[in-house]
Amino acid sequence: MKRIGFLLLLSLLRLAGGAGTLAAQQEPKPAAAEVKPDEAKPAEEKKTEDTAAESPSPAAEQWISGNIDFGYRWRSGVGGNMQTYRSVANYGSGPKLFGADLLITDPKSRLFDTLSLFATTWGGDPNQTLRVAVQKRGVYRFQTDYRDIAYFNYLSAYANPNLSLGSMMSERTYDIRRRYLNSSLELRPGKRIIPYLEFSHDANDGTGITTFEAQSNQYPVNNRVWDGQNVYRGGVRFEMNRWHITLEQGGSTFKDDNRTYWSGLNNGNRTTPYFGQNLTLSNLNQAYGIRGSSIFEKVIATAAPTKWLNLYGQFLYAEPKNDITYSENAQGNFLLLSALSFYGSSYDTLTGAARQPHTSATFGFEMRPFSRLRIVDSVMTDHYHTASAGVLAEQLFFTAANVQSAITPAVDRLVYNYNQHEVNAFFDITSKITLRGGYRFVWGDAQVRSSTLNEPLTGPFESGELRRHVGIAGLNYRLSQKLNVNFQFEASDGIRTYFRTDLQDYRKANARARYQALASLLLTANFTVMNNRNPVPTVDYSFQSRTNTFGVEWAPQGSKYFSFYGDYTRSSLRSDIEYLAPQFLNWERSLYRENAHVGVGMLEMKLPQLPGAELSLGGSVFISSGSHPSRFYEPVGRVVLPLRKHVNWTAEWRFYGVSDIFYSYEAFRAHIFQTGLRFTL
Amino acid sequence: MLKRTAGVPPHAAEVRLWADLRVAFFFIASLLLLSAVALPGATQEKAAPPQPAAEQKPPAASTEAAAEPENNQPATYVGSETCESCHEDIAKAFKKNPHAIVGTEKRRGWEGKACESCHGPGSKHAESVSPTDIFNPAKAKPAAADRRCLGCHAGQPTQAGRIQNSHANNQVSCVQCHAVHKNGPNGLVPRTPVAINAQCKGCHNDIWASFQKPFRHRLPEGAMSCVDCHNPHGSALPRNMAVSFANEPSCFKCHGDKRGPFVFEHAPIREDGCGACHEAHGSANPRMLTRHEVRYVCLECHSNLPNPQSAQAGLLGGSPPPAFHDLRSPQYRNCTICHLKVHGSYVNRSLLR
Repeated sequence: MKRIGFLLLLSLLRLAGGAGTLAAQQEPKPAAAEVKPDEAKPAEEKKTEDTAAESPSPAAEQWISGNIDFGYRWRSGVGGNMQTYRSVANYGSGPKLFGADLLITDPKSRLFDTLSLFATTWGGDPNQTLRVAVQKRGVYRFQTDYRDIAYFNYLSAYANPNLSLGSMMSERTYDIRRRYLNSSLELRPGKRIIPYLEFSHDANDGTGITTFEAQSNQYPVNNRVWDGQNVYRGGVRFEMNRWHITLEQGGSTFKDDNRTYWSGLNNGNRTTPYFGQNLTLSNLNQAYGIRGSSIFEKVIATAAPTKWLNLYGQFLYAEPKNDITYSENAQGNFLLLSALSFYGSSYDTLTGAARQPHTSATFGFEMRPFSRLRIVDSVMTDHYHTASAGVLAEQLFFTAANVQSAITPAVDRLVYNYNQHEVNAFFDITSKITLRGGYRFVWGDAQVRSSTLNEPLTGPFESGELRRHVGIAGLNYRLSQKLNVNFQFEASDGIRTYFRTDLQDYRKANARARYQALASLLLTANFTVMNNRNPVPTVDYSFQSRTNTFGVEWAPQGSKYFSFYGDYTRSSLRSDIEYLAPQFLNWERSLYRENAHVGVGMLEMKLPQLPGAELSLGGSVFISSGSHPSRFYEPVGRVVLPLRKHVNWTAEWRFYGVSDIFYSYEAFRAHIFQTGLRFTL
Repeated sequence: MLKRTAGVPPHAAEVRLWADLRVAFFFIASLLLLSAVALPGATQEKAAPPQPAAEQKPPAASTEAAAEPENNQPATYVGSETCESCHEDIAKAFKKNPHAIVGTEKRRGWEGKACESCHGPGSKHAESVSPTDIFNPAKAKPAAADRRCLGCHAGQPTQAGRIQNSHANNQVSCVQCHAVHKNGPNGLVPRTPVAINAQCKGCHNDIWASFQKPFRHRLPEGAMSCVDCHNPHGSALPRNMAVSFANEPSCFKCHGDKRGPFVFEHAPIREDGCGACHEAHGSANPRMLTRHEVRYVCLECHSNLPNPQSAQAGLLGGSPPPAFHDLRSPQYRNCTICHLKVHGSYVNRSLLR
């Protein structure tokens, strides 16, 4: 991977070198990856800062523009737990392409009008992205998006029954590369009839540790993860002045060749003998061969038959299905709990199939009977069921002559029906105040195999119902472009829910305010509170979450010398619910608390003595207390110094620090330093 | 933690809710007061710039008259060249904007009138040079601005879910995310993950705070963007969740191995979604779980007794684990050690393999 990154780097350098001579005079532009505070603002706010913002400067007439950022990164020795570092940050040392953002324009529009390329952090980093978009106006638009993301997770405190014995091995770990590719081609964009095609591929490949469960003992074993899916879709859009319809047909293929294996003596998690014998695993080969496919269809229509009415509707259908083959061969000394006898090996095979027809439909309209009143109505329905069957053949080898065989058929079914009807009315009291009132009714039913333990394969079904009435109120106040306040409130009287922790009787309120106090100063505030209760005896669920955020963006004199943005968030979450402690079936109470302070900020300074030089300081901090108190710091400092007209020197320092009070051995700290050159074209 | 404690009094949460609402109310009231002091002219400004006739007809399809100015003389279309004579810089930049194609469109009659396709007839404005004589979507009511955009864009599939979209319902208009004049391929709306996230964070900074927790999706690193999971234009699913395939939650776009269908499903995943157990934005708990220990994630649901009360409550499944699951043993505190196929199993109904 590093070699590929290096070659890519060389290619881009050559491209930059060649292009640099052709490039017209242009002021250096900041890298796209470095978001300036004003980029975070909605377009409306940006425009209010000064009237000049409404008059963007025209782009220079040149065939290529953009920048390339490359260099080298050093990572300090990781203090503390390296596995946690890799689970959270996972940045390594080496040459990197930090970023590239190029735009190539063909003024004669021969093969394309514009070609844009965007890439970030290539060179073995945990998140490598590449995006290419090409378009020729009215002829085609092609876009491809590739991501290579490392998924590493190894936390010694997680899923570790032997932690109290000093074992630091998590039994649920992953070291996986996830690769995702999406390409789409649209023909005749902007015309009345627009065909389009899309392909996407998602694959996981890697290793890990999981457990093999054999009744009275579990054995950590190696795991090979290898699954992937391809999705193909194509369709045509008909876009007329007053109506539109999209017809799409797609399909997908899926495979999962997950494999678990072990060779050698494995004592498992049980540390004491069972009836005088150790329950051990000596050899395991467990293989899943899942092959799946799906077809899906989509019909979307919108229409504006009159000035005062808009209609839309969607019909969506998918039918994923999987064919399953599974085999498992295990040797060791195992216990058959039901017979209280030991066996030396087992051989299991399963063949099965599962289908899940899934139909969804939505319909809605927006009606404007008067200039001040809008009525919005939408209906949604979603139905699916999983129908599955399998045959499991098991052979337990007690001795060479004593083999116990069993063939167990399994038929399962899950049914899910969900419906929602929501109507909202919006009334403009004045041109600055809009009131909202609405009502939502949610209803549905579900059927699952009963989770009684006596009949694990053929137990009865049980049904659940969903009934929820929700009242909605809202207010939007726009004093001017400088102040916008939005308030929304929901209250529900749930009659039926599927699960104990579902929304039942809840109140939810959200208020947002944005105030452009000065042309250079923007203040924002968000308040969200949700309160849910389920008073049913033996549940007695009480849940409350609050999030209050204040933000400030200050860019005096149009960020001529410095700018600052920062957010502070105070959040709290408390949850109490009854649960049954299994050993004595006595009622206990599960309490969860999380009180957190989160700060995000960045101060950017420009050095007036040195045009083009920038210094940035900031980062983020997360401090929580409660059930899982932890701290996560990520300060960052960055400097950009111009070397030549189109060349800047960049350097960045970043610190990652995690501390955990209950699991202090999982804390880590690491410094990352990177430096490089940025060519601006 | 296992000890039974007195819970929060039933009314306490309600009290806190109203306390929060009071805080929000006072904050907003303070802002209003502050703005009233700081913006003495704001409260006296005219209610809104005069807008063209509510549903402006394109010139090819109707007469030139569209707006209803105060002097009852209808404004007329003057063409983009007239606009360019004053707004030269905007006009030059606009030529590289995707919307520049509007000026070549004969179908709707906007040929040579790209500016007025959004701003309405400009003759009055050209004469008076007053901003009140031209329609400005950025200053108009969100619904009015949206209608102007949707005059052309309503017939596009992206708008299909707009009607039930929370952005539209909360008066967030198109121009709050789309910079209509800006040039370049990323001008109209950000298209790179970092820029998209920055745009969304501008309003949803409370959500962005969740991504500062140690266990999260890699948005701060720019590996993903908000629109990988959410469709800002609206969706058939709640919370503007994007769909993969036709009608599946977008989680399965990347986590295809969790999509199934499985021979033995785990019902909450199908009926409540991934959010039943995971904090999708970020969590202080490993694997982005909603609880600090796995057993609580499981036991909070798996506590139903097969008794009339549970049946009356209509609660599905969730029978308690059998008695040999003695939680005093560390072995049983980590449910997914044995029930490793917790997202659904192809082989075992108890999700053991």
